[in-house]
Amino acid sequence: MCRLSRTFVGLCALLAGSACTPEPAQPPVSVASGSGAGTMAVAAPPETAPSATRIGSTARNIGTLDDIEELSVAIAAERRPSGYFGYGDPATPEQIAGWDIDVRPDGKGLPPGSGTAEQGEALYEEKCSTCHGVFGEGEGRWPKLAGDEPLTGERPEKTVGNYWPYASTLWDYVHRAMPFYEPQSLSDDEVYSVVAYVLYLNELIEYDFELNQSNLAAVEMPNRDGFFVDPRPDVVNAVCMEDCKNPDDIRITWDSTELGVTPTQHFQDDVADAAAPAAVASATLDDAVGQRVYDQACKTCHGPGLAGAPVVGDAPAWAARRDQGLDVLVRHAVEGFQGEAGYMPAKGGQVQLGDDEVAAAVSYMLQNSGAAD
Amino acid sequence: MSDKPAGQRRDLKALLAQEAGKLPQPERRAFLANGLTLAGGAMLGSATSAAAANLPPEVPPWTRSVGRGVVTVPYGMPSRYEQDIVRRTVPWLTASAISSISFTPLHRLKGIITPNGLVFERYHGGVPEIDPAEHRLMVHGLVDRPLIFTMDDLMRFPSVSVIRFIECPANGGMEWRGAQMEALQFTHGMLSCCEWTGVPLATLLQEVGVSAEAKWLLAEGADGSGMSRSIPLEKALDDSIVVYAQNGEMLRPEQGYPLRLLNPGWEGNTSVKWLRRLELGDAAWYHREETSKYTDLMPDGRARKFSWVQETNSVITFPCPENGLKQAGKYEIEGLAWSGRGRIKRVDVSVDGGVSWRSARVKGLILPKALTRFGLEWDWDGGPALLQSRAVDETGYVQPTLAQLREARGVESIYHKNAIHTWRVAEGGGVTNVQIE
Repeated sequence: MCRLSRTFVGLCALLAGSACTPEPAQPPVSVASGSGAGTMAVAAPPETAPSATRIGSTARNIGTLDDIEELSVAIAAERRPSGYFGYGDPATPEQIAGWDIDVRPDGKGLPPGSGTAEQGEALYEEKCSTCHGVFGEGEGRWPKLAGDEPLTGERPEKTVGNYWPYASTLWDYVHRAMPFYEPQSLSDDEVYSVVAYVLYLNELIEYDFELNQSNLAAVEMPNRDGFFVDPRPDVVNAVCMEDCKNPDDIRITWDSTELGVTPTQHFQDDVADAAAPAAVASATLDDAVGQRVYDQACKTCHGPGLAGAPVVGDAPAWAARRDQGLDVLVRHAVEGFQGEAGYMPAKGGQVQLGDDEVAAAVSYMLQNSGAAD
Repeated sequence: MSDKPAGQRRDLKALLAQEAGKLPQPERRAFLANGLTLAGGAMLGSATSAAAANLPPEVPPWTRSVGRGVVTVPYGMPSRYEQDIVRRTVPWLTASAISSISFTPLHRLKGIITPNGLVFERYHGGVPEIDPAEHRLMVHGLVDRPLIFTMDDLMRFPSVSVIRFIECPANGGMEWRGAQMEALQFTHGMLSCCEWTGVPLATLLQEVGVSAEAKWLLAEGADGSGMSRSIPLEKALDDSIVVYAQNGEMLRPEQGYPLRLLNPGWEGNTSVKWLRRLELGDAAWYHREETSKYTDLMPDGRARKFSWVQETNSVITFPCPENGLKQAGKYEIEGLAWSGRGRIKRVDVSVDGGVSWRSARVKGLILPKALTRFGLEWDWDGGPALLQSRAVDETGYVQPTLAQLREARGVESIYHKNAIHTWRVAEGGGVTNVQIE
């Protein structure tokens, strides 16, 4: 800290080491107890010999910087009676009910409601099958949901049926996080129905079995007993320093460059940037925005053609849409649209995008499908 | 998109086009690309050039002119010459960028602190944009007094600041079977270390009064994935922190703005971001991210659960695939070591594939559950070498070999691969990621 007036403190910091006279060194630690203000000031380098510092009524030895760090945590978390600070408002039962959505294996947290696989089938096909596949087989890299292959084979695919230990987990997850682009949009009955359908796809319940608040916890999942508590540390290595192995025995078993599957153009000058589009030279700002938004929000479906989305590059498909008028196309993309071919979520599910960003992405897709004006 | 008025945007476009027109074709491309990210900042008229005209004895133009004034860039950004120091991803790893991972450029960072804009990202439902005035933390369940806190409430509690790493347990998890990541950024970049500031979770739990029968706590995010993890009360009372700031400023949106949990030393996923709710209970919840994911499948088909700790690990950051060697001579091999169980006690380095080892110098701060930097001087003869580092933490745990991990766990467990890593230095100085036996 500088001895100059307050006005000059900032300038003083800029000129550190020149005109400013440091104040005498502070004690290694000073703690303003309970005030919440600055908790510590450290002036001594880590090499300083331990010195006793008084904190409240407790004298403690402080040696290195990390000791001080840990001590500061311990002090801040010192034992105090419930309600000591008095901050915060009581959470009312209504407030808690609105947010308390978690469900446990014993069924605690399940709301009233019910559903059958039969009731869930159409909903699943509309909201879930795009990513998870009509039979729960998983599209692309989206999670596979159904399957009973053993977990002991090579590259086993984990599914609800062969891996998930509790049906409650499925209910909780679908309710809190699905559908991917519209989380927490399903009613409780719809969640019961979709969960029933996924369990049915895994041949764990019958098509007409009514899943409800009182029987879901009793659904027996095949891998219920397949988990055990982490036993690590589970391996013991030694600190060998010399002649730890025979140099003649060393062989390279894998070389990452043989596969060539990761980006390297950012550090290898001689590698062509395959990802860079040839059109960059003529790029305008809007093109760049369009491409960025496309990569971020549209590509997932409009790349492979999920959910009936027209694939970028499919000229006839895009020409037909362009003929409706660009403004109509953009409006559908912004507001969401249920077409004959499939379902377009509003802004691809990314509500934070501006309308002009979505428009730029639509324009980008048209241009790259030979359907621009 | 830019929040500038349309007219201003057009002006900028015109300016970009005009400036680009002065450049040769290849540079014009780069300029246009860079200009997009520079928009709003100062536009420099001339292209990058290593022309000798600026080297001694000549005096460069920046010495014979003045630069931009204060608050031209109110929030400072790195030099335009550092634009390749960015987070990167490997697109095929995940189905969608909304639920994906990016990697910290460890190969270009110094010291132990990760700058806020380079902390690796891991989202399960994208980044929510939350107005802190509308954010609440609810603490309820088996407590005496269920409470709702505003951000102001939380920031009024006595605060703590600690330097701790956060690592995704899948860091390195693509290489159980073999080496396939061609860069340090991708082999180890799901790893960052910041100074975190917030309220000890113990303080909040004392404030609400935890019931005697409470054993677990559910932490839940306000994002579209509603991220949820069960945390044992023992950890919560030990060193968990409800965090609102990192490296001196409020959390970045990518890191949970305005509020996140930090469980030091534990797999990053438990440090729930955009934290909105803590519920005390008498049993674990077994939610999706602690059953279907973040469990470790063993060869017998059974899986480890609650595998929270990030065990001792280390990696050499120079040289590495992105930072090769040039001519023979003296170098400092540098790297990072870290342990979720405490401090790093020692790091040894081998340049011959593990036949012989030398103890490296552990540099700078040696903090528990924090990145720790090490270095070792090395006289490279210009020939092939196999570089490895091996860290030991204060519990005496020695970083294992990949063969040992495979022997114990097979190759399907995805998470918690903390094996000794090998870089091959080829004649000529090129560095590649390999696995050896």
